[in-house]
Amino acid sequence: MFGNKVKIEKALYNKIKMYSDIAGYSSIEEFVHHALQKEIEQFEGADSEEEIREKLKGLGYIS
Amino acid sequence: MKTLYYRLRFGPPVVLVSGLPRSGTSMLMQMLEKGGMPIVSDQIRTPDEDNPKGYHELERVKELDKTTEKSWLKNHRGEAIKIISFLLQDLPLDLNYRVIFMRRNLNEVLRSQNKMLERNGNSGTDATDDKMRSNYDMHLRKVYYRLNRLGNFETLYLDYPEVVADPVRQAHRIADFVSRDLDVQAMASAVQSGLYRNRHSKAASA
Repeated sequence: MFGNKVKIEKALYNKIKMYSDIAGYSSIEEFVHHALQKEIEQFEGADSEEEIREKLKGLGYIS
Repeated sequence: MKTLYYRLRFGPPVVLVSGLPRSGTSMLMQMLEKGGMPIVSDQIRTPDEDNPKGYHELERVKELDKTTEKSWLKNHRGEAIKIISFLLQDLPLDLNYRVIFMRRNLNEVLRSQNKMLERNGNSGTDATDDKMRSNYDMHLRKVYYRLNRLGNFETLYLDYPEVVADPVRQAHRIADFVSRDLDVQAMASAVQSGLYRNRHSKAASA
């Protein structure tokens, strides 16, 4: 299913497995996928780009 | 080797002067112009209190994120164009670029931008300064990531306070970077420390 592999140390892997079970994820992959996606959304933040765009428009640096 | 490949493939580089608005990009354009570098500017945006020596902008650049017609940039190989960091991602990748990127303390940038917005009566955005500082920080990280990885971009990073403190040294660095025999003394004369306003100090940020 996944083309790329990431190495995770054993202790962290065990924690991931435990919390994915507790949280009710159907698999470790689903939990990891969800957690990483949430983390990336914080960085990508579409609203941030819009705020920059509005500021730059107000300043006259983009049309 | 990589540079040579891109040079052969895409021709002489377009020189870009970039950074966040109010980071000193206009001053850099003035330095290049005084040093003898051909610069591209339409003079539509005229000097004002925020930029008493002019903006050195090209209105066409401001539409790069809204158009697919960007072939005109090819006509400016070997010349310098000012482009804010936000629009670097919209440049066509079939050209070779040398980017002179000005960095400045984000508190100073924001203070200067806010003053400019006050003067022209615009609000810009409802986002707080803290939020904008965080937005710009992430934006710059993305820009540096791209600049450092794209093969047809070479970048010289300059820090605004260092340019103001030692303009001759920084002028030499710029001339070397653009591979031109520029008049570095004339370039340095474009730097006026009196225009270094909105300085950030610990007291100001407390």
